[in-house]
Amino acid sequence: MGSLLADWPSYNPHNFSQIRPADPSAQPSKLTPITYHPTHNRTLPPPNQVISTETRHILLRRFYQKSVEKLRPKRAASDNLTPDHGSKQLRGAFADGCN
Amino acid sequence: MSVWNYVVTAHKPTNVTHSCVGNFTSPQELNLIIAKCTRIEIHLLTSHGLQPMLDVPIYGRIATLELFRPHGEPQDFLFIATERYKFCVLQWDAETSELITRAMGDVSDRIGRPTDNGQIGIIDPDCRLIGLHLYDGLFKVIPFDNKGQLKEAFNIRLEELQVLDIKFLYGCVKPTIVVLYQDNKDARHVKTYEVALKDKDFVEGPWSQNNLDNGAGLLIPVPMPLGGVIIIGEETIVYCSATAFKAIPIRPSITRAYGRVDADGSRYLLSDNAGLLHLLVITHERERVTGLKIEHLGETSVASTISYLDNAVVYVGSSYGDSQLIKLNLQPDVKGSYIEVLERYVNLGPIVDFCIVDLERQGQGQVVTCSGAYKDGSLRIVRNGIGINEQASVELQGIKGLWSLRSSTNDPYDTFLVVSFISETRILAMNMDDELEETEIEGFDAQAQTLFCHNAMHDQLVQVTANSVRLVSSTSRALLDQWNASSGFSVNVATANASQILLATGGGHLVYLEIGNGKLVQAKHIQMEYEISCLDINPIGENSHYSSLAAVGMWTDISVRIFSLPSLELLTKENLGGEIIPRSVLLCNFEGVSYLLCALGDGHLFNFLLNTSSGELSDRKKVSLGTQPITLRTFSSKDATHVFAASDRPTVIYSSNKKLLYSNVNLKEVSHMCPFNSAAFPDSLAIAKEGELSIGTIDDIQKLHIRTIPLGEHARRICHQERSRTFAICSLKNCQTITEETEMHFVRLLDDQTFEFISTYALDTYECGCSVISCSFSDDDNVYYCVGTAYVLPEENEPTKGRILVFIVEDGKLQLIAEKETKGAVYSLNAFNGKLLAAINQKIQLYKWMLREDGSHELQSECGHHGHILALYVQTRGDFIVVGDLMKSISLLLYKHEEGAIEERARDYNANWMTAVEILDDDIYLGAENNFNLFTVRRNSDAATDEERGRLEVIGEYHLGEFVNRFRHGSLVMCLPDSEAGHTPTVIFGTVNGVIGVIASLPHDQYLFLEKLQSNLVKVIKGVGGLSHEQWRSFNNEKKMVDSRNFLDGDLIESFLDLSRSRMEEISKGMGVSVEELCKRVEELTRLH
Repeated sequence: MGSLLADWPSYNPHNFSQIRPADPSAQPSKLTPITYHPTHNRTLPPPNQVISTETRHILLRRFYQKSVEKLRPKRAASDNLTPDHGSKQLRGAFADGCN
Repeated sequence: MSVWNYVVTAHKPTNVTHSCVGNFTSPQELNLIIAKCTRIEIHLLTSHGLQPMLDVPIYGRIATLELFRPHGEPQDFLFIATERYKFCVLQWDAETSELITRAMGDVSDRIGRPTDNGQIGIIDPDCRLIGLHLYDGLFKVIPFDNKGQLKEAFNIRLEELQVLDIKFLYGCVKPTIVVLYQDNKDARHVKTYEVALKDKDFVEGPWSQNNLDNGAGLLIPVPMPLGGVIIIGEETIVYCSATAFKAIPIRPSITRAYGRVDADGSRYLLSDNAGLLHLLVITHERERVTGLKIEHLGETSVASTISYLDNAVVYVGSSYGDSQLIKLNLQPDVKGSYIEVLERYVNLGPIVDFCIVDLERQGQGQVVTCSGAYKDGSLRIVRNGIGINEQASVELQGIKGLWSLRSSTNDPYDTFLVVSFISETRILAMNMDDELEETEIEGFDAQAQTLFCHNAMHDQLVQVTANSVRLVSSTSRALLDQWNASSGFSVNVATANASQILLATGGGHLVYLEIGNGKLVQAKHIQMEYEISCLDINPIGENSHYSSLAAVGMWTDISVRIFSLPSLELLTKENLGGEIIPRSVLLCNFEGVSYLLCALGDGHLFNFLLNTSSGELSDRKKVSLGTQPITLRTFSSKDATHVFAASDRPTVIYSSNKKLLYSNVNLKEVSHMCPFNSAAFPDSLAIAKEGELSIGTIDDIQKLHIRTIPLGEHARRICHQERSRTFAICSLKNCQTITEETEMHFVRLLDDQTFEFISTYALDTYECGCSVISCSFSDDDNVYYCVGTAYVLPEENEPTKGRILVFIVEDGKLQLIAEKETKGAVYSLNAFNGKLLAAINQKIQLYKWMLREDGSHELQSECGHHGHILALYVQTRGDFIVVGDLMKSISLLLYKHEEGAIEERARDYNANWMTAVEILDDDIYLGAENNFNLFTVRRNSDAATDEERGRLEVIGEYHLGEFVNRFRHGSLVMCLPDSEAGHTPTVIFGTVNGVIGVIASLPHDQYLFLEKLQSNLVKVIKGVGGLSHEQWRSFNNEKKMVDSRNFLDGDLIESFLDLSRSRMEEISKGMGVSVEELCKRVEELTRLH
């Protein structure tokens, strides 16, 4: 048991070094922090950091991705004959993702 | 009319729901951040313990609180998500000490079924994305770009519908989640998914594990180099990764919270539903997990969150009991516990029920709550204001002044108490037996009224009377020197400190004397244009024996003036306005800030900031403390200076966080006060009240006082009975036997002074107490406790049987004198027209109290009313009955005497699931529902059509953000017939988070004024994290969301007093009302609670 309870992590040895265990009958801690009421202008984030969710439905997104991926090999095929092999791979990868 | 309501928090939430540790306020500082549902608190770890830094109100109920460190940042950011689907990322700006918003947003979806098991928010340990599980079947991703900025969020379909927990795994090339879920056969499994950010989809993860413990509920991801996840079940703990699987059995328990101890993840603290704390250790060799070990450490409050802080000190946050700061010791104590409690932090939550009583019969209500749950159940006595605990008192009529004196300058204790009357002065002193007896100070003039007296330097005493100033040796008590007023110009007012005397005689003469060794020297004399009404030369500079400023209040021009000493040169003149003369002035210093306080004859008090070098006055504020003249006096308690304002409404003025606060004192009227610190009565005050002189000690200086009565069991209903001076509670105790866990339910009687159990009635097996009232019946003078119960059988959806038990308290014992079986749970009981009104499942039932031939009584059913889903909450007024239904909002019933029938008169047709109801007045009823909203409805008895008359019209709506369990009419403050606050009808509420709040019904003009103030404040006080106040307070449930109306946010309005002067002026300009007037009106509101 002793070894399990030894070597508690210490980040700053001073932390809690002066604390005295409270008398159990004593009144509980009463220090109250200041209540924060911001009046500055930086409670609003930068305009590009106001985040919303993509509105496109998951299914539509899937269709869209599919059509993009279908388009790509076709274009490649017209340019070049070799990627024929590549297009198969792409389709395969997509099929995996689908399942 | 109670249409216009003001909602304010008297006691803030104390239920700790989340906590986390990190470097938030600086890269070098370690902070503990805790969430108390609608607030966060930032603490700093120091050598002396936790130092509270900031209490931050959040416009939302916090669902997730996480610290994280984006790439390249020197300190942590705070991620907060709220239950209403808002989130924000906060950063601490150390330069300005402000919280700034790095990002925020709305993560709600238009369609989606909110998760049953609560919202999950997690951050990838490599900071690639934030994951949210808010709706069944959907996992929301907010990706980070490579600069740490957030990008547009997207949803991924999650096949698992019953998710129990989700965590990110450490050390994965692609961000990977582990999902703990239950299938449709109630078996539990874990599965991993990689999040493919580019494809916006999941890819099957590296591993999964089927058929876990049926009670598996918590995942703990293990950092690298070990990686993997710990799955906490009710009977087993499992470590699982792609390469290893280790399991250990545990004593059956439900683990509620965990805290990681070591950065490498080899030790964890686990807390279960009984508050037992365990240490879970992962044993490993060469980065391979070899096994798990679990060790019992001891008992704490039932934890909702655990944060390892530093050097073996741990924060235990609790929802069911007090939160604690504990130390883990290497050796067990005598009870075998390795835990030492260093501090505890009061938590009133969950407040399940409460009552308001005036135990000390002083005209001031105290709230007694049923707080906490399970083993941490307790009663809490919550009282507003500062208590004076009388130690001794003596009858003395006509006291005109009180001063305490030491017998030598260096004596730590006061010896003499000088009591002044209209034509004499009496000296009291402590004798050998620690009793006060009359004595003499020969050098004093005992045949005249003392205007002032004080200890002076060189072991001397000063007495000022109308005719003279006498300097007396405190050792020989002989007169040393005397200054006489010119004939015809008697002294009206005087003040002194250790080395100076300032007095005013008729004709506006202001005389300044200095005290030498055995000598009084008149150093300066000036004549003013008017008579002087009050004076002060309390030293507030560095020299505690000498003041370089004098404050003088004037008749006629109603001004207060600051003079320099010794020159008596006028530095400042401030006209107070009005026609009421200043009666008492005081120079004082709180927390290093100097003030001038000036009290008027009508109970108003001005305070000014005082520039001690120039004598300038600024930041004038006015408050109303009472209606009679005020006398101001300083006193010390626990090394801090406070001011006692003696009047018809005695008040202690003190400072907290450099803001002046005013706390009521639990005494009705005080004419004079002086500190009296004697060996027999240390740190006491001498107080002159109506015909009485008393000595008492003073409570700690704070606004609310909370006394805890631990019960060791869960009190669920409480009621007070004046006649027997007892409380009755319905409680339950969890009993753990080797084979099973059982509940035992009791009705217990407690003495209302000692709070000891004096009698107990054990309920039957499966029977639990649902309601308790104290009442009496027609034609019977006795007062009874009536208890409503339900037999909660495991196989029944709703109880079909219950009892009404009628007890009388005889010789301090509960005597059962009647019982009546009911066909369901007795959710509510009310005394009603000398009869008993019960809510039993779907029905409202009225019982008569009938005398039988043998002289005993029985409850006999008279009439009833069907038509509710479950009638849970009932309030009555005259013949009217207001019912709060499980899911059918509020309805109004009427009892018809002649016909002996109960009929429905009107109802609110909204589908609100009620948690509490109260009748505000004849026509307006208040409700709280389970989406944390408040609303008011109005009966339209004058409407033209039956249809309209049958409808309760919703007239007020407000999102409180708290789950209200009980409303009660009453007040936390002393009811004073003369004061404005005394006229405001108030309802107190108690909530699951431990909030005690006040709802005050305001006159329409005041409501309009405050509504305007609120709308101006919203523009100045911003929502933390960019969250909107308007959205937060909008009434919101599954069906609708509408702006709040006819309720005001008192917490926001009262925060006006915390604003800087320039912000106050900004508001004042917007309102067209002076800052002084605004402060006064808001300060008055703060005295409602």
